[in-house]
Amino acid sequence: MKKRYNDIITALLLVGAALFILLPLYMTILIAIKDPSDMNQVLSFPKLLRLENFADAWRMTKFPRKFFNTAFITVVNLGFTIITNSFVAYAITRNRKKSKFFGIMYYYFISAMFIPFCVIMLPLVVQANIFHLDNVMGITFLYVIFGLPMNTFIYSGAVKSIPIALDEAAKIDGANPLQIFWSVIFPVLKPTTATVAILSFMWTWNDFTMPLVLLSDETQQTLQLAQYVFKSQFSVNYNLAFASYVMVILPILVIYIFCQKWIMSGVVAGAVK
Amino acid sequence: MKKKKRGVEPIYYAGVGIMGVLFFLFHTISFLKGVFYSFTDWKGYGDWNFVGLRNYLQIFKDTDTISAYLFTFKFAIICTILVNIISLILACALNSNIRFKNFVKGVYFLPYMLGSVIVGFIFNFIFANLIPAVGQHLGIDALSTNLLGTTSAIWGIIFVTIWSGCAFNTLIYLSGLQSIDTDVYEAAALDGAKGLRKFTRITFPLLAPSFTINMVLAAKGYLMVYDQIMAMTDGGPGISTTSIAVLIYKKGFGGGQFSYQMANAVVLFIVVVAVSVFQLRVLEKREEKIG
Amino acid sequence: MRRKRVFGTLALVLGMTCLLVTGCGEKTKELELFSSKAENADSLQKLVDEFNTLHESEGVKVVLNTPADAGTILKTRLAKNDVPDIMSMGGDVNYTEVQSAGVLADLGQESYMSSIQASYQQMVYDVQKDKEEVAYGVPYATNASGVLYNVDKFEELGLEIPKTWDEFLSVIDTIEAAGEKPFEFTLKDKWTGLCPWNSMAPDLQPDGFTDARLANETTFADTHTEIAEKYLTLLDHAQADFMGTGYDDGNKAFANGEAVMMINGNWAISQFTNANTDFNVDMFAFPASNDPAKNYVTSGVDVLFCVNKDSKNLELAKEFVAFMMEPDHAKQYINEQFAFSAVEGVVQEDAKVDGVKEDIANGKVANFPDHYYPNGFDLAALLSQMSLNHTEGMDRGENIKQFLASCDEKYDISNVQ
Repeated sequence: MKKRYNDIITALLLVGAALFILLPLYMTILIAIKDPSDMNQVLSFPKLLRLENFADAWRMTKFPRKFFNTAFITVVNLGFTIITNSFVAYAITRNRKKSKFFGIMYYYFISAMFIPFCVIMLPLVVQANIFHLDNVMGITFLYVIFGLPMNTFIYSGAVKSIPIALDEAAKIDGANPLQIFWSVIFPVLKPTTATVAILSFMWTWNDFTMPLVLLSDETQQTLQLAQYVFKSQFSVNYNLAFASYVMVILPILVIYIFCQKWIMSGVVAGAVK
Repeated sequence: MKKKKRGVEPIYYAGVGIMGVLFFLFHTISFLKGVFYSFTDWKGYGDWNFVGLRNYLQIFKDTDTISAYLFTFKFAIICTILVNIISLILACALNSNIRFKNFVKGVYFLPYMLGSVIVGFIFNFIFANLIPAVGQHLGIDALSTNLLGTTSAIWGIIFVTIWSGCAFNTLIYLSGLQSIDTDVYEAAALDGAKGLRKFTRITFPLLAPSFTINMVLAAKGYLMVYDQIMAMTDGGPGISTTSIAVLIYKKGFGGGQFSYQMANAVVLFIVVVAVSVFQLRVLEKREEKIG
Repeated sequence: MRRKRVFGTLALVLGMTCLLVTGCGEKTKELELFSSKAENADSLQKLVDEFNTLHESEGVKVVLNTPADAGTILKTRLAKNDVPDIMSMGGDVNYTEVQSAGVLADLGQESYMSSIQASYQQMVYDVQKDKEEVAYGVPYATNASGVLYNVDKFEELGLEIPKTWDEFLSVIDTIEAAGEKPFEFTLKDKWTGLCPWNSMAPDLQPDGFTDARLANETTFADTHTEIAEKYLTLLDHAQADFMGTGYDDGNKAFANGEAVMMINGNWAISQFTNANTDFNVDMFAFPASNDPAKNYVTSGVDVLFCVNKDSKNLELAKEFVAFMMEPDHAKQYINEQFAFSAVEGVVQEDAKVDGVKEDIANGKVANFPDHYYPNGFDLAALLSQMSLNHTEGMDRGENIKQFLASCDEKYDISNVQ
């Protein structure tokens, strides 16, 4: 009885997944490999495989450059975010009771979480220009800074749960604050770091708004932005456009397939804190 | 190594200080500048004058802005509710003893990984080409036109938002469900609680923290809806799907209303803070009551 | 020891900041050509390539940048004070915005200026701030907006080119009687809704309306009822899903014979031929009035060039514009784009625009009325709203009244701002 009940749920879930989630993706891939003349039956299997779509889209969107930009932003941001933001959160959390400065900084960062991006969007464009941040390097730098409120919030929750005795033991062994942080605290923070890493990875890889307003130079654009910029040039050729989408989705998909469990538990850990 | 017991190492000041200064320089100054410009008539370049509260007063007279607020609220409320309901159902289903559990979970979380612009474009195609073709084939009138070109365009955007938004919320609920002690259920079973009653009396109250997180994050995110709309309807037909964020971007840059839209942005900021604080207070009170 | 580390960290973070802040200064002789049109990207690219080949030895490179939503992006560039070296755009409000920001070089002394048709240069002056008569922008290509029609279908149905509104209606009737769709509309892309408006308004609005409206001496409500009425009539003969069809999809459908006519401009023709190389298309002036003498071809400056006065490579930028203005290159451009040239002596000979060629040569043209509306007056959204109301079965008279009232309201708001 109970087993049958579970089988019904399984079946419903599978049908739902297939219909709502896999079907659109299946369609995307089909269109990407079809010939423009073969579009009357969108969901039918292609009469012939047209892999030139990928080659054409690759050339048209100048994929390698865009891919490099996006990968650079994502990876460099990840590195700097993890190192700087975790240390800031550690410094703040451990010293809040000792000095008012850290308490103030904590609330300063946290309260910034409530400022929607579109509020600072217009002046940021002006500000970024003054400091020449309207390029790949600049936007990476801004991501590190702008991720601070959320990451401080996530990290400080984790730091709180690490017993202070750990710090003190290391201190007695003669370690300086940086050594304590790096060799004692940072390893313990690993699960939280995974969360922060995933969240910032997803944020920077998929972000559209910030590149849209900041990166107008074509050589500096990201993959997501390129899809928008090339929308009008793909014109009616959906096959090229979808080939291009597939190329953007693919790296993420590969990462997802290999690190699925890790990603899911990371995201949950971040949000429940 | 003689130090005062409560002293703070300078490196901490340095680290936090530097990040604080940088944050101030790029985030806070941008914010303050925005607030400042909202009292001027600056166009984004060139000369400007102070105009006092003119921009703010204009907001209440401008039907475009008012309708953008109405759209944004309607959208945020519907999405927050639907996403939470659907996520909760999905989470309960995924939490039961099903087969291929990890595979199914993996599939449902997939949309979270995809960027909203591409998702928007893909569904744009589905709404414009695939569904009308199917509708015509089956002879169903309601399906044979592009939903995004009708007064119901908002539902197309809501659908896509739910499609990509449920993944995250489901995961949160799922982890909440998994943390519920099985003893509680056994005790409930002894008391004769079953089915829906079991859910409303036991499961749902215990999910309170997850519920709070989901409500607050969802509402905040949907009040700022932007990417999907840019990719799908560009705010149309008419201005029926123009959200506040879209309006700020389009008119702020494109329509020569930079400072006026800054005032609009400041109002949006106040709205978001108010909604978040309100939600937190109400939901936390509820959590306390249960706890 | 500890202090050293503090400084070390400080230096590291500061170094990172400085690196990021300054690490982007150096640039070779690369010039950016910013274009606001997607349709002419291929044609421009060919000419850009040619220019680059000519100047390869000097290390000069022009890079074409054609973003979607170009008008908005150009505004962010202005806000950033990051003006492209060369800009190619329409003679519309976007140009007015850039020009009034005072960032453009005066091109009046360039040698090609003498060969530019005065009427088109005047159109550029007309949209400049205070109608200043300084050549900040040089007209390059001009366009024609009207009714595009499927020549084969017209022959098949034995149709004549209509010269008056009544004839137009009977053409529509004949097409419908034959079981064909008269119009393909593409209102999912709001801007395409402006085309019928721009074609009808010059024929039907009172003389001097633009100036009178600006001075608040007249209103849309008093003068534009007939235009709105005819606009809705056109919609009655469009395909079922005219609100949900996008420009690209619509062009494809039209090129494949799914409708007989489309109200748009010459710039769409290259899209038709992309979708169907054998497509036989021509255009005629929109017969909005029953007085044939009043039915103008709507023609405006489709592409003009302007140059950033503070460009690091100002002379090269000017040289590029001069290169484009050379008759051979102007000819190549208009041939590929089915456009018309602002350069004297460069004539369009393609049969795909036969029907309007004569009117253009004779100057029976009117500029796009929306080029004279204030920036921020989003007429396309209002037209889209009216069309949407129409599909919802709203009462015609009520719909038109509401539409014209909001035209006046929004016009006044954007005129003040």
